[in-house]
Amino acid sequence: MADQPDGIVLRRHRDLQGRRWHPWLRRGLLGLIALVLVLALFDVFGQGSSTTQAEADAATLSVTAPGAVRGGLLFQARITTEVHTELRDATLVLNQAWINGLTVNTIEPSPLNEASRDGNLVFDLGHLPAGSKHVLYLDYQINPTTVGSRTLRLELRDGETPVTSLERTLRIFP
Amino acid sequence: MDIVLRAALAFWLIFFLTRIVGRRELSAVGPFDLIMLIVLGDLVQQGVTQSDYSVTGLVLAAGTIAILQVGVSYVNYRFKRLRPLLEGEPIVLVDDGRVLERNLGRERLTRAELEEQARQSQIGSLDNVRWAVLEASGQISFIPKQ
Repeated sequence: MADQPDGIVLRRHRDLQGRRWHPWLRRGLLGLIALVLVLALFDVFGQGSSTTQAEADAATLSVTAPGAVRGGLLFQARITTEVHTELRDATLVLNQAWINGLTVNTIEPSPLNEASRDGNLVFDLGHLPAGSKHVLYLDYQINPTTVGSRTLRLELRDGETPVTSLERTLRIFP
Repeated sequence: MDIVLRAALAFWLIFFLTRIVGRRELSAVGPFDLIMLIVLGDLVQQGVTQSDYSVTGLVLAAGTIAILQVGVSYVNYRFKRLRPLLEGEPIVLVDDGRVLERNLGRERLTRAELEEQARQSQIGSLDNVRWAVLEASGQISFIPKQ
């Protein structure tokens, strides 16, 4: 008896022929969304902080900052210099990845001098006596149009003499 | 350019989500659902416009969504084969008074919810229903026995 409503095909809409796999597709796609959320819980998309450290005889240099951030977010990077032997003219050299596409809200304490050298940022910290500890705070906001992965390079120098350096990756999600 | 891309991404994300969460959740708009809709709208807005407060940004974002909406609507109209993908298909829930439990379960609907919907359509018993069809829109249509 073909009394079903117009537009209803019983084989497809009642008996679900050819549609039995649809719920599995839906569950699979929901599973993908759940996977993204689980990855977020494990800090894949930011912005938990981690510390990268480089040791040398003269000083230990470390950076504590998020490894992943998202557009528009505020975050802080902390550069710590622990001095083992006196640095007469401590200088931090940051590559362009530390500034390109990011807004620097503040740098505290302000370096004695700031300069550009071969496109890199140079912060002059001045004289750091043995046993001292210098912490530089950089407060950032991610420009909304900035995305991608970049390598942050940081070098500690004493005048023109390299003391130690480190690298870390910053991933920026849209 | 980025605001157009973000608006397009937001459009497809919402489109994709509404297609996979199932009609059961979409058809009911209670107080909680209404609040969730507003919250979702706010979240989408933040992701699309971010710190852009300009009228230009508004035009770009709203224009992108409008064009995509018309595009989907046209494709849905023009290509019959894509309709099940774009807007879903109806499912028969009751055939001549007999509740099709498997079809109900597929949409995570309980018999009690079906009976409630029937009562709202002035139908006292599912025995009196010739056809009940869960439409692609999430509404349930009841056709009583003659």
